[in-house]
Amino acid sequence: MAVRFFGQFLIDQGEVDADQVRIALDLMEDENPTIGEIAIDEGFLSARQAALVSAEQRVHYLAFGDLAVEMGFLDPTELEQVLFRQRSQRVLIGDALARLGFVEWDRLGTLLDAYKVDQASYQVGARNLPEALERHRAPGFVIELLPEFLMRFAQIHAKVGDVVPFSSGSCHAEVKVSVSIEGASHLLITLVSDRSFAEALAVAASGLGTGARDADLIVDGVGEFLNVLVGNAIAASAREAHRFDLGPPEYDADPGEGWAVGLAVGVGAAALLFAVA
Amino acid sequence: MAPKINVLIVDDSRTVLGHHAHVLSEIEGLSIVGTARDGAGAIRMATEARPDLVLMDIVMPGLDGLSALRTIKSMHPEIAVAMVSSIGGDVAKAEEAFRLGACQVLAKPCDVEQLETLVEAVRVARQGERTEAGGAL
Repeated sequence: MAVRFFGQFLIDQGEVDADQVRIALDLMEDENPTIGEIAIDEGFLSARQAALVSAEQRVHYLAFGDLAVEMGFLDPTELEQVLFRQRSQRVLIGDALARLGFVEWDRLGTLLDAYKVDQASYQVGARNLPEALERHRAPGFVIELLPEFLMRFAQIHAKVGDVVPFSSGSCHAEVKVSVSIEGASHLLITLVSDRSFAEALAVAASGLGTGARDADLIVDGVGEFLNVLVGNAIAASAREAHRFDLGPPEYDADPGEGWAVGLAVGVGAAALLFAVA
Repeated sequence: MAPKINVLIVDDSRTVLGHHAHVLSEIEGLSIVGTARDGAGAIRMATEARPDLVLMDIVMPGLDGLSALRTIKSMHPEIAVAMVSSIGGDVAKAEEAFRLGACQVLAKPCDVEQLETLVEAVRVARQGERTEAGGAL
């Protein structure tokens, strides 16, 4: 199982179907005011300023409120007030499905409890990160989720080490696979390893057994693992209203300069590199 | 008799194509009619092979999965399309996929049982359509 939202969980449980989720999403869209609409209603933004923020959003991967603050139209206190009002008034997917009669109100609490148990492992604990990584938010989830996903994918035990500065010239790994995250800043995440770690990961990820691999399939398998790990980190951080886009894996790219996280693993040697541009 | 389900798998990763094919081969009454490694290939294969179900990644080089979903559903609304992606759990992406007509959005790593449930749902829907068509004759 992976990071998923309540609607997906309910479909997986056979409680609702995709058409019912679609109808509920339409209801939410009709009834949930946007941040811009609330800010206008509160008198914090003019309609013109809201339109300017929306236009700017097409080129910035920032949430509307954060961008409005950055553009000087809202102050942080006003944004807090707007977010609080949005949170307190928001029709959630469970409420929408229940109002539409697709889920019994009496059953909703039980299903929410089951969902919380299902998603309990996708939380971020306390870990001190350099300011640039802390600000980006996704790296925290990537580091926290890594041991769990390595265990699930390939039964590889991993312990995450300290975050230390890293310079480009010091990387001589046999296998180097990167994915990029576009957000308020560009972040390149690279998994570097020796061949035995990469092979163990790739064989497990493909489910094809040890006889069916070649060099390309090995890096492809490592890429798929990194893709899943980072994709889940993005999904988890999206719950905190952080907006990111994930690029496809790149093979043998220059990992740049930034921070390295050493991994103590049961098979071979590996590390994660983060470069923020 | 339960209808046979024809599946098209779309993912830029060979690992995933192999993994899905391996898992799906264990399900009875199912046939893999093709694979594609990007959105453009998915649209082409969907038109040529007319699968009952497309399993498609979201993040792919070139035309991405959501753009391909939009096109496939507009050209062939009868084809069920499920997104299976590492960012399938991102609520904004999942909501967008449902709005574009996805029948399910699964976040990787997904369980074998989730794929079986998905295929069974498509099979039941197909059986219902055939019964309705038969009744109308």
